Amino acid sequence: MAPKPITSPVPDAWYPTLSVFMLAIGLFVTASFFIYEATSSRQNRSLGKELITGAVASVFLGFGSLFLLLASGVYV
Amino acid sequence: MGVRRKMALRFDLIIFTILLFASPVLSDLILSKVDRRIDLTSQIVENEGSEPVSEVLLAFPDLQVKDLALLKASPHEGKGKVKSLSASLPVENVKPNGMPAALTFYAVKLPKALGKGDSYTFDVLAVFAHALRPFPEKITQADIQLVVFQESAFYLTPYVVKVQSLSVKLPESRIESYTKLENTKIHGSEIKYGPYENLPSFSYSPIVVHFESNQPFAVAQEVVREIEISHWGNVQVTEHYKLVHGGAQNKGEFSRLDYQARPTIRGASAFKYLIAKMPPRVHSVYYRDEIGNISTSNLWGDSKKTELLIEPRYPLFGGWRTAFTIGYGLPLKDFLFELEGNRFLNITFGSPMNELVIDNLIVKVVLPEGSGDISVSAPFPVNQWEETKLSHLDLTGRPVVVLQKTNVVPEHNQFFQVYYKFSKLSMLREPFMLIFGFFSLFVAGIVYMHVDMSISKSSAAYLARLQWDEVQAAIQQVENVINRCLTTHDKLEASLRDLSRTGDVQACKAARKAADGLLKELSKELKLVLSFLQSSSAASQILPKVEELVAKEKDLQEKVMAKHSTVVDCYEKKTGIRDSENRVAAQQQKITALRQEVENLLELIDEI
Repeated sequence: MAPKPITSPVPDAWYPTLSVFMLAIGLFVTASFFIYEATSSRQNRSLGKELITGAVASVFLGFGSLFLLLASGVYV
Repeated sequence: MGVRRKMALRFDLIIFTILLFASPVLSDLILSKVDRRIDLTSQIVENEGSEPVSEVLLAFPDLQVKDLALLKASPHEGKGKVKSLSASLPVENVKPNGMPAALTFYAVKLPKALGKGDSYTFDVLAVFAHALRPFPEKITQADIQLVVFQESAFYLTPYVVKVQSLSVKLPESRIESYTKLENTKIHGSEIKYGPYENLPSFSYSPIVVHFESNQPFAVAQEVVREIEISHWGNVQVTEHYKLVHGGAQNKGEFSRLDYQARPTIRGASAFKYLIAKMPPRVHSVYYRDEIGNISTSNLWGDSKKTELLIEPRYPLFGGWRTAFTIGYGLPLKDFLFELEGNRFLNITFGSPMNELVIDNLIVKVVLPEGSGDISVSAPFPVNQWEETKLSHLDLTGRPVVVLQKTNVVPEHNQFFQVYYKFSKLSMLREPFMLIFGFFSLFVAGIVYMHVDMSISKSSAAYLARLQWDEVQAAIQQVENVINRCLTTHDKLEASLRDLSRTGDVQACKAARKAADGLLKELSKELKLVLSFLQSSSAASQILPKVEELVAKEKDLQEKVMAKHSTVVDCYEKKTGIRDSENRVAAQQQKITALRQEVENLLELIDEI
């Protein structure tokens, strides 16, 4: 059985594109989070909606910043 | 490219067949023909030879052994055939009894024991570093560099040798002097001693060759080679060099003018550049030292290899030192492989520099965090131990395998393997760390908005703010209700359009009924909120606007309803289109105007 070369789970060439898209989506969701915070009054605010928006935003921002680091040569 | 004359001695030792007369006892082994070739054309001395027997002892004087960098034995393939690297015979250091002192012995194990009268031929390659001594030891810039090499004309062996000869190959330069024994001939730049016949064991006849050598005596006192693996697709190699010119020390002044004007005369022993051979598809190569980037370098490559030519900041004369760092990245798929659940890294051990002797080589292999079951397999003995290194996005640090070897020559630049286990899920640790970091920021924001951090709970300002918050909530409710009303109006308009399209009066009437019901509910909600607003004192400023808005909306509602009924009537009575439009026109105008006002008011309230 010949040894199989290991590559990255995501192809190298996709790193810059993926990082741009994920960061863009993450920033949009972050913006909607902050808009919700700013415009809702104390009673109308729903903790669940805030947490979910925050979670989705942080997932996209996390992956986007990881691919940004990889695309710029810092192979973490 | 200037003329590069390599200075070193390379001994090629060829020993031919040995006949075995009796049982394999040491003293009964006879070396029938020994041919030694010593190549002194580079700074590294190589002995190559072939020798047959079941287990042959190779003897080296202790003084020579401390310079011994590599000892390899391989079966003799015969002239013209390419030596296969895989067919090498095991060699180990032994201490047999009854041998003269000050000798070190290595035993070569043959593949099968030789019986009586059998013969076997094999080659021995011995590489010595620092075997050439510069003599004179200090020279000026204009002098030529002479080195001295000492060896024995007769092969030092515990066996009897029938026929032996020695040939010493020198670089094509001046030969200052050499020991003249019987049967000594010079052919060009090669000195041949022999053939000598039937010499007893342990015969020794020292010879000294004193010759000129201008090969670059590049000696690295310490090389630290760090290989960092990232499973996201890169193997980063960083090499730190401490280089010294190992030839005759330079005394007196250094004249840059003389050196630049006539480099071959004033400064023949210096070396200006080094060449490194790297694997193909290397990227992000950098060459710097403590000061910064060194721009005197050249890189070119093709699909088989990449060559890097580096020039230190100054030419190196005898005894001069320099220190620099070279770094480059390699694609992961060329070096990291998976076999039966284990991952292993297959990479070269030594430095990629040509003709560099390293006194102390330290190779550090940094594996990603979460690797376990680490083991190393190297083709020659090395010292090894483990460390940890904290790098990007690390919690506990990455495991580092450190391999150390002294006296490393370019022949040591072979592949070695590091085996380890790594689960694919561990790769997600890094993005999850980043996600967790960002999420904690969001949680902090949420906590800040939710927590009431005012100091005094009964001050007037605090209470006023509380009330204003409630008013804001009420106003948002009002806006919500009015928006829903407006959507109901839109639905009615849509039903009218449907009517004109399909002619279904019943559907239109049904829509009207539904709208009626919805609007009634909405007006109830509105009443509730309005009463609250009227009661609260903080809303006093905004209350008139809100009331105006509600009134206007009511007006609009009535008008829309009226228009709807008119249109349905017209349709039922089947009056002409123009008539119906005339009737509706005026109402429509008012409706649009009112609608605009309502929306303006909504915006105004929003801004407050």
